[in-house]
Amino acid sequence: MGNKGASLKGLLLVALLVSHMFLAKEGVTSLPICPNGSVNCQVSLGELFDRAVKLSHYIHFLSSEIFNEFDERYAQGRGFITKAVNGCHTSSLTTPEDKEQAQQIHHEDLLNLVVGVLRSWNDPLVHLASEVQRIKEAPDTILWKAVEIEEQNKRLLEGMEKIVGRVHPGDIGNDIYSPWTGLPSLQLADEDSRLFAFYNLLHCLRRDSHKIDNYLKLLKCRLIHDSNC
Amino acid sequence: MTQKFISSVPIILLLSLTTVCLFGQQFPGKPKITRCRSLEKDTFSCWWKPGPDGGLPTNYTLFYSKDSEETVYECPDYRTSGPNSCYFDKTYTNHRTTYNITVMATNEFGSNSSDPQYVDVTCIVQPDSPVDLSLEMTTSAGVTDLWAKWSPPPLAENSSNWHVYHYELRFKPEEEEKWETVSVGVQTQYKVMNLNAGLKYGVQVRCMLDCGEWSGWSPERQIQIPSGQSPPEKPTIIKCRSPEKETFTCWWKPGSDGGHPTNYTLLYSKEGEEQIYECPDYRTAGPNSCYFDKKHTSFWTIYNITVKATNKMGSNTSDPHYVDVTYIVQPDAPVNVTLELKKPINRKPYLVLTWFPPPLADVRSGWLTLEYELRLKPEEGEEWETIFVGQQTQYKMFSLNPGKKYIVQIHCKPDHHGSWSEWSSEKYIQIPSDYRVKDMIVWIIVGVLSSLICLIMSWTMVLKGYRMIAFILPPVPGPKIKGIDTHLLETGKSEELLSALGCHGFPPTSDCEELLIEYLEVEDSEDQQLQQSHPSKNTRLASKETDSDSGRGSCDSPSLLPEKGRESRTLPSKLPSQDVREVHENNAGSGWETQCVASSEDRALPFNIAGTKSSTWPAANIHPSTFAYHSTVDAPKITLSTTNVNVAAVLVGNEEKHQNYSNSEMFYYLFKSMGIFLTQQR
Repeated sequence: MGNKGASLKGLLLVALLVSHMFLAKEGVTSLPICPNGSVNCQVSLGELFDRAVKLSHYIHFLSSEIFNEFDERYAQGRGFITKAVNGCHTSSLTTPEDKEQAQQIHHEDLLNLVVGVLRSWNDPLVHLASEVQRIKEAPDTILWKAVEIEEQNKRLLEGMEKIVGRVHPGDIGNDIYSPWTGLPSLQLADEDSRLFAFYNLLHCLRRDSHKIDNYLKLLKCRLIHDSNC
Repeated sequence: MTQKFISSVPIILLLSLTTVCLFGQQFPGKPKITRCRSLEKDTFSCWWKPGPDGGLPTNYTLFYSKDSEETVYECPDYRTSGPNSCYFDKTYTNHRTTYNITVMATNEFGSNSSDPQYVDVTCIVQPDSPVDLSLEMTTSAGVTDLWAKWSPPPLAENSSNWHVYHYELRFKPEEEEKWETVSVGVQTQYKVMNLNAGLKYGVQVRCMLDCGEWSGWSPERQIQIPSGQSPPEKPTIIKCRSPEKETFTCWWKPGSDGGHPTNYTLLYSKEGEEQIYECPDYRTAGPNSCYFDKKHTSFWTIYNITVKATNKMGSNTSDPHYVDVTYIVQPDAPVNVTLELKKPINRKPYLVLTWFPPPLADVRSGWLTLEYELRLKPEEGEEWETIFVGQQTQYKMFSLNPGKKYIVQIHCKPDHHGSWSEWSSEKYIQIPSDYRVKDMIVWIIVGVLSSLICLIMSWTMVLKGYRMIAFILPPVPGPKIKGIDTHLLETGKSEELLSALGCHGFPPTSDCEELLIEYLEVEDSEDQQLQQSHPSKNTRLASKETDSDSGRGSCDSPSLLPEKGRESRTLPSKLPSQDVREVHENNAGSGWETQCVASSEDRALPFNIAGTKSSTWPAANIHPSTFAYHSTVDAPKITLSTTNVNVAAVLVGNEEKHQNYSNSEMFYYLFKSMGIFLTQQR
C-alpha cells in the first residue's frame, strides 16, 4: 500500500510539472530581475550601460567581420574604396569627429545622437539582411551575420531608449533621424554596381557601429565611472 | 780479338735492332694522355696521343678508377669524341670524384701503359654562369654609384663546396662594341665606376673555379644612368600610424632624385571635401614624414594622401593612400609593470602583476579602450606562454614553479582594429621556494615509522619464522585413512599393504570371507560407521540411485544383501567399461578409499541380475575395484577381473533373457573380490 501511495504522488507531481510547462509555453526561463510593469525594481544605470556597451561592441565586431569578408570575396581589384568616399546616409547627422568634440558635447545630446543613428539604421539593416541573400553564392557567414546585426541593433535601440528614459525622463522623442534611400541600389541589375552598393553600405555600417561603440564607451566612463575608467 | 769483338758490338746491336724492327718484335710505345676536357655540362672526354706502335695493330684501352677505390673500370665510350678518345657521359661524371686514368696500348707482343693522369671532374667541367644579376643605382651626397650584385651558379647535386668561384665583370655602353672587363675576385658584388651619365650600359658577369675554366657570360643586364636631366622617381608611402588615437604620422620612401635636389610635399584631402591641404608638420616625426596634430586629425573620415617629389626637371606624384585614422592605432607599450607576492593564510602564495596603460593613451575618458596580453617564460625556457588578459590592468598568477625565475612582458592593442604595441621591457620574477617545514616533518615521521615497522617485522620473522609461516599458511592436510599407513602405500610393497589391511595374500582368502560375512550380519550398526567415513562423494549419487538409501558408498550399502524377487528392469545406459575408465582415472595414485567411493558411482548403473535390485551393485562395482586394485598394487592376477567383466557383459547381454542366474555363484565371486574393501572399511 505504501508503494502505491508513493507512486501516485510521483505521478501527480509529474502531471503538475508537465501541465505547468505546457501552460507556461516556455519551458524553463530565468526570472528577470525586473519583470515588466514593476515600478520599484530597477536595474541600475550602470548595469544598463554595461549591457549597451557589450551590445555595441558585439555589433561593431560583427560589422567589421562582415565587411572584411565581403571585401575579400567580392571587392578585390574593383577599386571600391576609391569610390567609397561617397558618404553614408548618416553623414547628414553631425556627430563628433574627434575626442575634443566628443568630450565637449553634452551627454544628453550625445545619447540622442546615438539613438538617432541607431534608428536610422533600422531600415537599412532589415533590407541588408534580406537583400544579401540574393547575392550570388553568398557564404553563410555573411548571411547569418547580417541577420544577427539586425537583431542586435534592435535590442541595442531598446536598451538605449531605456537609458534615455532614465537619464532624461520626459524627453519628447527626438527628431534625429536620417532616412535611407539606398534600397534600389541594392537591387540593381548590374552586378558591379550592386556589389558596390553593398560594399558602401557595409563600409558605412562598420563606421557607424564603431562611432556608436566609441560614444557609448565615452558616456559610460563619463556618467558611471566619473571619467575614471 | 777483343778489339774486334768490341768494335763489332755496335754492329751486332744494330743488326739485332734492325732484325727486331724488321720482324716487328716490339712492344707498343707508351701512350700519353694529352688532355681531358668537358665539352658539355656533366660530361667530359679524354684524349691521348698514341706512342710509336711500330706499324703493328695496337689496341688502346683506357682504364680508370675513382678516388682511391680499388675497382678499375674501362672506358664506356671510345667513339663519340673521335679517335683516341674516351667519352664519359652524365652517368659517369661525378663531380666529387677524382679519376685516375691510364691508357694501355696492347699489341700482340705486349702492352704498355701511360702514366696515370689524375682528373678532378669539378675542375674540367665548365661551371654555369652566375645568376640573378641585378643593378642598382644609389645616390648619396650627390654621387651616384652603380652596384652590380649577383649570385653564384646554383650548385649541382654532387658538386663540391670547397671550390671557390672567381668572378669577372664586363660592361659597355649600349652603342659601343668593346667591353671593359674587370676582375672582381671572390665577392658577389661590385661597384662600377666611371660611368657616363645619360648613357645606357650593359653589364655581364662570369665565374671560374679555382682549378677550372671560365663559365659563359651571364645574360646582360642593362641600366640607364640617369643624366642630370630627369625628373625624380615616384615616391611611395610606407605607412601611417596613430599612437594614441588623437594624432597620426605618415612616412614615405623617396625614389631616385634624378640627379637634382628634390623636394617632397605631402598633400591630402578629406572625405567629402574638395579642398586639398598640405602636410602641417614635416619635422616632428623625422625625415620623409608628416605629422598630423590633434587639430588636423579627424576620425571616421577617409584621408586621401599623396606625396609629390619635385626637382628642377619636373615632379612626380606617388599613388594615393587612403587611410581612416580609426583603424591605424598602434599604442605604446604598457608602463609601470609591478609585481607583488601575496601570501594569504592557509593558501599558497600567488603573484599579482599590475601595470598601467601607456601615458599617451586616454583610457580614463573611455575614448580609447585597450586590451592587454602578457607573456611569460622561465628564464632558461625557450617558448613564451601568451595569456590574453582583456581590459583589466592586473593579473593574478597562481601556478608558477617555486624557486624559478620568470620573465614577464606585456603589450596592448585597441579593442577594435589597430595593432599590438611593442612588448614592455622585461620584468624578472623570482618565485620564493615553497619549503614548508610542516610537510618535511610529516614525511620524516612517516619514514621513520615505516622503517621501524619493517625492522620489527623482519626481527619477528627471524626469531619465530617458522611458526609465523605455519600460522599464516597452514599446511594442507593429507588424506587419513583409519588403519592405513600412507607411507606404506608410497613404498608400495604389496605384501605389507595387504597385511596392513588385514588381508593376507591375494586373492582374498576365506578369512576375508568370514569377515565379510560377519560384516553382513551386523549390517545396521556398521552402516552408520561406514556412512560417516564416506560422506563426501555419496551425495552425488542420490539422484541416480534407484535405491532408497541416499548415496552411500557401494562398499557399505545394505543392498549387498541379495534381495530376491525384486523387479527392476532398468538397464544400464552404458556399459560399465566407461565408468571403469572414470574410476581408473579417479584412482590414479589415490588410496583405497576413493576406489571404493568411485565404485559406488557405478552403482548408479543399475544392473539386473536375476531381476533383483541388489544385483545392481555387484558386477559393475567389481570392475572398478579390481581395476583400481590393479593400478595401485601389482595384482598378479587380473583374470578375476576379466572374468568379471565378461560376466558383467554377459549379464548385461543376457539380462532380458535370463532372469534367473546362479546368484550364489555370482555372490561368491563378488564377495571374494570385495573382501578386501570390506576389511578396509573396518
